[in-house]
Amino acid sequence: MNNNDWQRVSPWALLYFIVHFAIRFVKDGLLNLLPILVIFVTQVEQKWFWGQVAASIAIVMLVVYAFAYYRNFSYRISSENEILLNKGVFKKERLTLKFARVQNVNIAEPFYFQPVNLVNCIFDAAGSSAQEAVIPGVKLSYAEHVREQVMAFKAQLQQSDTPEKAEHAAQPSAQHTLTLSNAEIAKFGLMSNMAILALAALAPFMNAIFDYLETSLIARLEAMFNEQAAFVGSAAALAVVTVIVVIVLCAVLLSVTMALIRFFNFHLYFQDNKFKRVAGLFERQQLSISSEKIQSVQIKQNIIARLLKRYTLICPQVSSGNTAPGVAAHKNKQTLVMPVLTAAHVQQVCRWLFPWFINLNELNFIKPERALLYKNTVLYVFLPSVISVVVIDQLFETLSMLWGLLPASILMAAVFLRYQKTGMALYQHEGRSFAVFRTGMIGTQYRLFEIYKAQSATTISTYLMRKSGLKSLYIQLASGSVSMPYLKSVDAEQLIDFVLYEIESEPRNWF
Amino acid sequence: MFSNQQIDTLPRHHTIKFQPLADNAIWHVQINWLLFYIPLMTVIVAVRYFNQPFADAVSAPWLLLLPVLVVLSMLYNLYSVRVKGIALREHDIAYKRGLIWQQVTLLPISRVQHTEIHRGPIERKLGLATLRLYSAGGMSADLHISGLTDKQCNDIRQFVQSYGYDNHAAVDELVDE
Repeated sequence: MNNNDWQRVSPWALLYFIVHFAIRFVKDGLLNLLPILVIFVTQVEQKWFWGQVAASIAIVMLVVYAFAYYRNFSYRISSENEILLNKGVFKKERLTLKFARVQNVNIAEPFYFQPVNLVNCIFDAAGSSAQEAVIPGVKLSYAEHVREQVMAFKAQLQQSDTPEKAEHAAQPSAQHTLTLSNAEIAKFGLMSNMAILALAALAPFMNAIFDYLETSLIARLEAMFNEQAAFVGSAAALAVVTVIVVIVLCAVLLSVTMALIRFFNFHLYFQDNKFKRVAGLFERQQLSISSEKIQSVQIKQNIIARLLKRYTLICPQVSSGNTAPGVAAHKNKQTLVMPVLTAAHVQQVCRWLFPWFINLNELNFIKPERALLYKNTVLYVFLPSVISVVVIDQLFETLSMLWGLLPASILMAAVFLRYQKTGMALYQHEGRSFAVFRTGMIGTQYRLFEIYKAQSATTISTYLMRKSGLKSLYIQLASGSVSMPYLKSVDAEQLIDFVLYEIESEPRNWF
Repeated sequence: MFSNQQIDTLPRHHTIKFQPLADNAIWHVQINWLLFYIPLMTVIVAVRYFNQPFADAVSAPWLLLLPVLVVLSMLYNLYSVRVKGIALREHDIAYKRGLIWQQVTLLPISRVQHTEIHRGPIERKLGLATLRLYSAGGMSADLHISGLTDKQCNDIRQFVQSYGYDNHAAVDELVDE
């Protein structure tokens, strides 16, 4: 497969370039064109006509640019174990990516390539989309061959670093599989916050939407409810409630659709310490991750997931330095997300990764000291309650102040539940040490990682904490961070010493 | 052959002896604060002088609040610089900071992804520099240490870069500085 000739991609790749640049135009370009859009909306007459003209010009330019890009695009897998790409229209550039720098080779099958059996071969250099190299419109067999070639080279490289690994690599292990039905995937739409995000995206237009709904829908609904003789109560209020319910249902439906687009026909394979995930409706994404690259495992169960008795399992790799860790974990295409798992599935998948894995509830979690509960009660219950009582006292009658007790008791319950859920546990198995951090309120979130993968550790203490012999612990990971508040100083210091010992004495690569 | 025997005693980080920042570090902090406060005070005084309604709203005694704030800030800076300290061990760097929230961060050198040294105009004048050490996954630098001498920064950077090749070199020399 190695040759020193530059190769052109299939003409079908033109479709990929058109879609790719169209998405980039919508994502990056539209914001820059906002001033022109404002002038267009406010100043131009015959908007429909000129809008059509502008759209036609934009489409023609997009197709011409994509065609020129396609003409200039060529690639080469060199005999020096490099991927070389020639690309660009106005600014020609050559991208050289050494096999050794490639983290993953993923294969994506967009819906428009399905009839012609072509795929995109995506080389991920450092876990961030900015450093991706894509060869579009190649045959699946070719993409798989290149992937094997890159991975074989990397395996060879690792074996020369650590010869003892060669023995393990020579014995292929059995393949494990996990398949999620699309009905299960739809549940992720209910569990995830995508519905809220969809509503948030509509927020700027809410005024216009409500104005429109008020005139068109609410008035009609009100009239309809008024006609119902059996109906008792305010027809207007019921009409508004109906509309709100419909909006929420639409958002949920949108969220379910988005979940299906992302995770349709979800298949997960695990063999030789490697995950392979295939999913997606319009674009079948093949994601391969070596278990060593996984920095931590997050097991999440929010309130809806709890009702549905499902969990979400997230395995992030190294997150890009410029992005907030939490955001990176979700946005990063290289994060392996298993959207809807039952408790049995969680056990199954975690045991592939960690053979010791037991039910996490059985672990002996260290809890924060009671001082945390007292501090949070003062800060989040007592202070807001006093302030609200003072404000209510100024505005309303004394009797109304009693209502202030209701939010106070809710806040108190929240503070207590959060305190109860916070904890950490350590586990050792065959000389390897793992840490599990638990947080949550009504839902629960576990973060599990092998301690030597930590990046840095910090203790934090205030004057009062020092007086009480307490310290909070904060551990930075390559994919986010974990913290454990209000530990006894002695314990926090011992933990930090242990974390440092694990990091500094462990010769294995952390990524 | 790597071994991982059970150990009874771990190296304890809380016995680390932290080295204070450079002598000029306090001046750097104070000048930076004054560069914020003096223009602010000038603007307020000027607005009060030219704008009668503002002068009526803000009476003269209120203006004394600003110099008091400056003095308090400078006192705070004095103590906050005093509590800062850095220590270089064989395998990690420790940095202590914070007067109210006291923080001790330990960054293993094997986890440092890249280092940066910054020198602003005031720092150049005072012979100081800021060292930033980045590990993976963080939003910003894991360690952001201002108030070191330029030589200290370069020595630490050199030590970090040569870690793994000759990680025992120059440690004693650096710590003695």
